[in-house]
Amino acid sequence: MFRSEYKVEGGKMIKVQLNKDDGRICAIKITGDFFMHPEELIEDLERSLIGCPLDETIIIETIRNFIEVRGMTLLGVAPEDFARCIIKAGEGIG
Amino acid sequence: MVERWRLLDTGLNDAFYNMALDEAIVIARSKGIVPNTLRFFRWDPSSVSIGYFQSMEEEVDIEACNRLGIDYVRRRTGGGAVYHDREGELTYSLIINEDHRLISKDFQKTYETLCLGLVKGLRLLGVPAEFKPINDIVVNGKKISGNAQTRGMNVVHQHGTILRNVDPTLMFTVLNVPSEKIRDKMIKSVEERVTSVEKYLGRDVSFEELKSALIMGFKESFDIELSSGEITDFEKQTALKLKREKYSTREWNFRR
Repeated sequence: MFRSEYKVEGGKMIKVQLNKDDGRICAIKITGDFFMHPEELIEDLERSLIGCPLDETIIIETIRNFIEVRGMTLLGVAPEDFARCIIKAGEGIG
Repeated sequence: MVERWRLLDTGLNDAFYNMALDEAIVIARSKGIVPNTLRFFRWDPSSVSIGYFQSMEEEVDIEACNRLGIDYVRRRTGGGAVYHDREGELTYSLIINEDHRLISKDFQKTYETLCLGLVKGLRLLGVPAEFKPINDIVVNGKKISGNAQTRGMNVVHQHGTILRNVDPTLMFTVLNVPSEKIRDKMIKSVEERVTSVEKYLGRDVSFEELKSALIMGFKESFDIELSSGEITDFEKQTALKLKREKYSTREWNFRR
C-alpha cells in the first residue's frame, strides 16, 4: 500500500492509500475530513478509479465525470485536490 | 402565524445512542411524525466522534481511549474528528425539512444560515462570534464551534459543538498526531487556535445559561417559536435499534 496526505487550501485534509499495477490504480481508499453528498457515493467513487492510469488529467476527468453522472456535491475539496493526493501516493514514496 | 419547532434536551447519553437518536429524529421528521427540531445533548462518557470519511484507526488513539474509558463513534456526517468532553462541551442538532425557507440547495449557504442561530446566541452572551466558512464559528479568529451537515430523506441534519471550556491536552491524548514529537506543539497550537465561552468571558457559564442564550439566538435568527417537547416512542425505539445495529458496531465504526 502506498500512502499520501494532502492538505487543501482552506484546511481540509485528504488521505489516500492505494495499490498500483503497471501504472494503474488497482486498489484505493480515500479518507479525510472533507464533505461529500450523498456520503454513500465515496465507495462508488473509489471503484470508478480502479483501472485508471496514474495521470493527473485523467484522474481529474474521471472524478468530474463521476460528479456529473451521479449528482455528487463536494465541499471543502475539489477533484483537483483528490487527483493531487492520488498522484502523490502513486509516486510510491510511501 | 408563528412557526413552532420542537425543543429537545436529551441530557447525558453515550456516543452510540447520541448518534442513533439524531438519525432516528431524521427518520421521524421524514415520515412527518415530528416537527422541525432543535436538540441539545451531552456525552457520558466523554467520547470521540469521527467524520463519515475518516479512518478510525488513523484518527483515534484507540488504546488511549480504552484506557481512559472514552467511547469512539463514526458520525453520519462528514468533517473531522472531535473530542466531546462530558463537562466542557454542549452539542446541538437541527433537523429540518429540506423544502423549508431556511434551506438553500447550496450547502455552504445553508451552513451559514443555520450557524447564524448559534452566532446570535453567543453574541447575546457577550461573545462576539462570527461564522467562518466552511463550517466553523470563531471568536477573534479562534474556533469555538464546529458543525457538520448532511441531507437525505428530504431532511437536512446539522449537528455541531459549542465549547463551554476546553482541555487541549486531553484532546490530543485521544486523537492521533503525526508524531509524538509534535504532540506538545499541537497542544500549544490548539490553545492559540481554539477558545471557549468561559475562556473568552473569563467567568463560569453553566450549561443552562449557555442553552438559554442559544435558544434565544435560534428563535430570533430563524423567526420561530421553540416549544419544549419529548422524544416520541417511535424515535426512542428507532434510536435503540440504530444504536444496536449500527452505531455501536465495529462494522460501522471501523468501516473506513
